Amino acid sequence: MTIPPATALSRSSGIRASTGVALVGALLVWVALLGPLLALLAHLTPRSVVSALRQPGAFQPLEVSVLASLIALAVILLLGTPLAYLMARGRLPFPRLWEVGVILPLLTPPLVIGLLLIFMVGPSTPIGAALSRIDLTASDTFFALVLAEVYEAVPYYVLGAAAAFASVDPQLEQAAGLLGDGHWRTFRRVTVPLAAPGLATALAVTWARAMGAFGAVLIIAYHPFGLPMQIWVTLQESGLSSALPFALVLLVVALPLPVGAFIWSSHARRRL
Amino acid sequence: MNWERRRLSAIFLVTASALVSVSVAPAAAATGSTGLANLASAGSLQLLLDRYLGPAFVRASGDRYQNQSAGSQGLAQEIVAGELSPNVFLPIGSAAMRLLEPRFTRWAVRFAASPLVVAYYPRGPHAGRLKQISQGKLPLKDLFTLMARPGFKLGRTDPALDPQGQGFVEMVHLAERYLGVSPVTANADLGGASASSQIFSETGLDASLQAGQLDAASAYLPQAVQLGMPYISLPPKINFGDPRDSPIYARATLTLATGQVVHGSLLDLEVSELRVGGDPGAGNAFIRFLLGSRARGILTRRGYTLLSPTLLGRRAAAPGWIRALTQKR
Repeated sequence: MTIPPATALSRSSGIRASTGVALVGALLVWVALLGPLLALLAHLTPRSVVSALRQPGAFQPLEVSVLASLIALAVILLLGTPLAYLMARGRLPFPRLWEVGVILPLLTPPLVIGLLLIFMVGPSTPIGAALSRIDLTASDTFFALVLAEVYEAVPYYVLGAAAAFASVDPQLEQAAGLLGDGHWRTFRRVTVPLAAPGLATALAVTWARAMGAFGAVLIIAYHPFGLPMQIWVTLQESGLSSALPFALVLLVVALPLPVGAFIWSSHARRRL
Repeated sequence: MNWERRRLSAIFLVTASALVSVSVAPAAAATGSTGLANLASAGSLQLLLDRYLGPAFVRASGDRYQNQSAGSQGLAQEIVAGELSPNVFLPIGSAAMRLLEPRFTRWAVRFAASPLVVAYYPRGPHAGRLKQISQGKLPLKDLFTLMARPGFKLGRTDPALDPQGQGFVEMVHLAERYLGVSPVTANADLGGASASSQIFSETGLDASLQAGQLDAASAYLPQAVQLGMPYISLPPKINFGDPRDSPIYARATLTLATGQVVHGSLLDLEVSELRVGGDPGAGNAFIRFLLGSRARGILTRRGYTLLSPTLLGRRAAAPGWIRALTQKR
């Protein structure tokens, strides 16, 4: 069937119009998301950045944040991956219950997570006492900082990773099994490579969440200062102009990993 | 097609520039709402203000009321930076108010004090001894010995940010001088080399004490009353709550991490009207209410020490009714 030229023209201009609307919508969201960053850049001067970073110990919160977030990421990866995989494959009894368990921390304000962690792992709780036997305290320590970051970030990874695993066709795993691969080998050689783009995106989001964790950190890990706490304390202590350079540092340091992950993920998707 | 692409690029650029200019442009001049008492107040006053004084003020005046509570110093910094535009500022301690002078205000009224105490968890391992100290059955000096013991979990707020945090450190130094606490004990009380493990945010400190994760914590007397925690009262010479002992408080000094040296001072409640915050009428009405008999009754019931209203700063800059009401310093 041939389409009359007039109808084709009107359909084509309709598509162009809807593309234009979509582009404006996308732009609105993009610029709105970038708004705070633009405001940050507009209110920073090179002198204020240099002056803030020349303060003694200015880079210590950066080191603390990066190290704590890397450890938190490793813990989340190690413990969250099996849960995400089992959730994705529906191999857990009462699956909705597991999902609710993952979503609940996401719905709980981070400050409240911190308050509840006091009751759960504070020094005088049974878990706190067990931790103290191995010289760990979940209050005002580096360990407490990692713990707070893990709690704030883990749901983002588990949900993202579960979606990535769910996108892998189970028949491919079954085919690998028929060819003689065991569960672990199939997971390593078939499932993970196919889910890798999604896993990379999940890890990127989790990293960003861990680096920016603040609510639970404020309650259980006031010390040692990571970057978000340094920003808050500097704001209180010396005002906005001294605090904003640290916000820039946080963004500059935290950004490469997610950007790298998104680029790699995009290339990997094209290869699949 | 080329024309289409140009048109889309133009839409993109126009929208982006509009949004960027909106996001980066300085905020328009504050538009104050008529009849709104807009407070910025010390974190420990939040319950007092939001639950008791605020509603009583609204009932009495018909004006509206809103309050933001946080560390006094931090609030002052936010006001200076233009992030907050309250018409009434109500900090604890005078340092935060001084940050706003003379740009935002030139006067303040001191009207109450909030003495320091040591609150404790009533079911902790040291609760028995702490109770005996609070009842005077054991000497107060024992409190300092007990706090210095390894394993005693003491919490306090950050001296860099909070008058209470500064006051607690200075209190321990004054206890050396007036209670005969040894310097070694005083140093151990403040955590020695691991002092940072004692320091919490205000919210974290209250929660940790109430959850029994601390044996004791610094607190203002009214705060301990509001939290329902038992506490040990300290003598006026070291509790920063009696204006007559101000010269003694000033002898205690503390060097902050920034190198700034802070002298001890009365932990008083001060109030002032700010020139940035919208409707001056409602701010004025709130201060008038705060200094009146009804609010003073509420303050007494919540554990605050009432002081005769005293005008600080430039007397000539204060409204006439405040000059008439207050004493000269």
